[in-house]
Amino acid sequence: MRIVIVGAGQVGSTIVEALHAEHDISVIDVARERLEPLAYRFDVGTFEANGASRKALQDAGVDKADLFIACTSRDEVNLVACSFARVEAPKATTVIRTSNVEYIQLWRAGRLDVDFAVSSELETAHAVSRSIGMPAARQTDVFARGQVQIVEFDVPEGADPSLVGTPLREARIPDDSRVLAIIREESMTLPRGDEMMEEGDRIVVIGSPEAARAWGTLLAPGAGTVEDVVVFGGGQVGTAIARTLRAQGIGVRLIEAQRERAREVAEELPGCRVYNTSGIDPDFLERERIGQAQAAVFAMKEDTKNHYAATLARVHGVPFTIAVVHDTISTQVYEYSGVDVTINPRAVTAEEIVRFAHDPRTQQVTMLEGDRYEVLDITTQPTSEYVGLRFRDMPIRGAMIGAIVRDGSALFPRGDDVLQAGDRVIVFTETSRVPDVEKVL
Amino acid sequence: MSPTRGGAVAGAERRIAPTRRAAVDIRGSLSLVGMLLKYLSFATLMPAVLAIGYHESVVPFVGATAIAFTVGLALERGFAGATSIGFREGYLVVALTWVAAAAFGALPYVLSGDPQLDRPVDALFESMSGFTTTGATVLTDVDAVDRSLLMWRQFTQWLGGMGIIVLALAVLPRLRVGGRQLLESELPGPEIDQLADRIRDTARRLWLLYVALTAALFTALVAIGVIGKDGMGPYDALGHAFTTMPTGGFSTEPDSIAGFDAATQWVIVVFMIVAGMNFALLYRALVRRRPGRVLGDEELRVYLAVLAIGAIVIATEIWDEGFATGERAIRDGVFQATSLMTTTGFSTFDFAGWPTLALMTLVAMMFVGGCAGSTAGSIKVVRHVLLGKSLRRELRQTVHPEEVIPIRLNRRVLDERTLRAATAFILLYVGIFVVGAGVIAVDAAFQGPDLTPIDAIAAAATTLGNVGPGLGVAGPIGSFEGFSDVSTTAMMLLMWLGRLEVIPVIVLATRRYWTN
Repeated sequence: MRIVIVGAGQVGSTIVEALHAEHDISVIDVARERLEPLAYRFDVGTFEANGASRKALQDAGVDKADLFIACTSRDEVNLVACSFARVEAPKATTVIRTSNVEYIQLWRAGRLDVDFAVSSELETAHAVSRSIGMPAARQTDVFARGQVQIVEFDVPEGADPSLVGTPLREARIPDDSRVLAIIREESMTLPRGDEMMEEGDRIVVIGSPEAARAWGTLLAPGAGTVEDVVVFGGGQVGTAIARTLRAQGIGVRLIEAQRERAREVAEELPGCRVYNTSGIDPDFLERERIGQAQAAVFAMKEDTKNHYAATLARVHGVPFTIAVVHDTISTQVYEYSGVDVTINPRAVTAEEIVRFAHDPRTQQVTMLEGDRYEVLDITTQPTSEYVGLRFRDMPIRGAMIGAIVRDGSALFPRGDDVLQAGDRVIVFTETSRVPDVEKVL
Repeated sequence: MSPTRGGAVAGAERRIAPTRRAAVDIRGSLSLVGMLLKYLSFATLMPAVLAIGYHESVVPFVGATAIAFTVGLALERGFAGATSIGFREGYLVVALTWVAAAAFGALPYVLSGDPQLDRPVDALFESMSGFTTTGATVLTDVDAVDRSLLMWRQFTQWLGGMGIIVLALAVLPRLRVGGRQLLESELPGPEIDQLADRIRDTARRLWLLYVALTAALFTALVAIGVIGKDGMGPYDALGHAFTTMPTGGFSTEPDSIAGFDAATQWVIVVFMIVAGMNFALLYRALVRRRPGRVLGDEELRVYLAVLAIGAIVIATEIWDEGFATGERAIRDGVFQATSLMTTTGFSTFDFAGWPTLALMTLVAMMFVGGCAGSTAGSIKVVRHVLLGKSLRRELRQTVHPEEVIPIRLNRRVLDERTLRAATAFILLYVGIFVVGAGVIAVDAAFQGPDLTPIDAIAAAATTLGNVGPGLGVAGPIGSFEGFSDVSTTAMMLLMWLGRLEVIPVIVLATRRYWTN
């Protein structure tokens, strides 16, 4: 597939990284310093030009593109680039990144001439809200209209012995779920029944939402439903998070240091309590009992501030902290200092956009552990060698089927179940094996 | 400014510097007031027609037209020239227009030679009370006054209700000024609700609705008069339609509404309630058929709730104390609560003799008033609502000092300035009321009449709130005739201040208004 990407920032780079191996990619950006590293690392064409220029797009060969992605940080550039691409390559699928919720709404209402619109803010907000709904999880995503949930857990110390340290086939695993992968010190296994989980492992679980919740309580007992979340930072991301959480009936308190912005957020979100303060004032944290919140989300503009505030919040007793990271490197700092979940808006956005580059049969993709593993949602072809096999007889070749969607409803297959042609399967695999998996199914 | 400083562009320099004009364009304002008076002078032709029909003297009306027209024309022409009527002149124009209107309205009373009204102070009081839709009167014997003159009295209230300037904006070919500032100064309430893009169309729609409602009330009253036993004839119906819709309160009968039957009284209750509602909202409900938004309006809900509570308290009290029973007690309670809260001032009973709780409730309701954008006077419900919300926020912020709490009305966030203005208005209003009550009480101690403290309070509250009747000698069947000229003048000022919602008049008394 020929792909033209406008914007070589973090989002653009992540997309290139995920797609360069199987596709022909051209990248357009105004900044040479962003293009050069891409050109050296990957086999892609780079064009130093303004993406909102028709000529630049023509030079980059937009007329032959199958997929056009405009993912600069500026909405207007993306929109203009996309409208040019629409004319030059009427058959190409177009994707824009936008930070304006209004554009997303317009796109959903069919009033914006692009095929897909992705908002970093909304994707981040959804990621945060999924984590908050599942406090023990490192990451979680849903498939098949919410019928299937994928969750990545840390196995804590002192976990239930009927679950941990017991071979999987004997362990008391919640119904309608299975362990897709066990990640132990950088190495990943796709477990058979004789494997067992150990303390300190990271596991990937697939199951119904109920089963996922059951896993959550097994691995993090005592973490009940969340009612009180404090969001630090009232920028676009923080506001989107607060709005999403409010929509789920979760009580939100938001802290914003800039007076005018605090006022704007308070006006925009009537159900949300907004405080105009820095968030790192211990007196304030004490007075407002921030420590009693069940979770805190750090969505301020600077990673260092978020880091400090998150640590302070933990000192004050907030049990669950989620940080929005802007610089990839910060993720390690956060994890080292004990922040429970980190979410990188650009990575989340890239992941959402990469979904459109896959085989047309592939409906959805989630990346785990950065971009090392992917979860795919693929429709099986009648010619696939796996069709007609019982699950227990399937060879494991670096991929594991976690669930199938048949006639619109999800099944979690047991060993005796048989894969049928036309089933949608939800598969876990390493990113490098994605093309093989798509081919084989 | 010297041309060297700042190196300003020559053209810009020329525009800023040369017209060495006063901070306020007084000449232009007077010219505009003159023009308004010129047109207003034709208003007396309405009672003149009646006078011909009733074989009464037309001299007072035609004379008033002639004098007012001449003065108006003289002012308009005398101060004609390049004017710059802007934001600041708006206050002066509005304030002066209402003085001019009151003076013009007094002319027929003086010219008529009617013994109760021909003293200039009395005539001016009656006229000011008319235009400001107060309804306080110096008449002691209504029946002795010519019918055409009485109808003029009713008509002044109708003209003043929706506003003289709003009327001018609606019907005059063109005012040389933007109009928005004038409209804001004259229409009651903290902010105006535009019904159309052009101020003129907004003014037209408001007046149209006002005329339609008046016509509906007139028809209803006449219909009841035809069917019922003690209803109104066409003359009374017109007279009372003219004073119900502007929440005025003048009556063509000595005992106000008391002599009419229950159906008439209930109809008037309904129209008083309507007159106390926001006309822009009413327009949306009736003309654009969007009743949902009207029923959900926060101010309207509070308005109706306060009205209901007041009515229940009064009805219970007078029933309990034996002043009336059954439907009569309910009707009197509802009628009087509605009449005083909407600042109309009609009465079905001489409530001055009611028990203290009922009286206190009535006086308290005088301070509530109707909705913003209605024809009612006083503080207005919305300002009470805003004050309440501000206070609640203060309390919340005492505990949570960092919390940012925008105040919303009907889910819309309000400007902090609007909130401050509402609070300032209430403080000014109460301050003026206290001063007014003090002046009246002190003056009454020297020159009569015999007033209790609550009577003095009621007299100030009733005139400042444009309600009408007070308590004691100035009660619903009494008259303000017994007050000295000092008190009468003070009360005229209160009516004027009250009708223009204090601020446009008070700013004229500040030095910074007249200097740059």
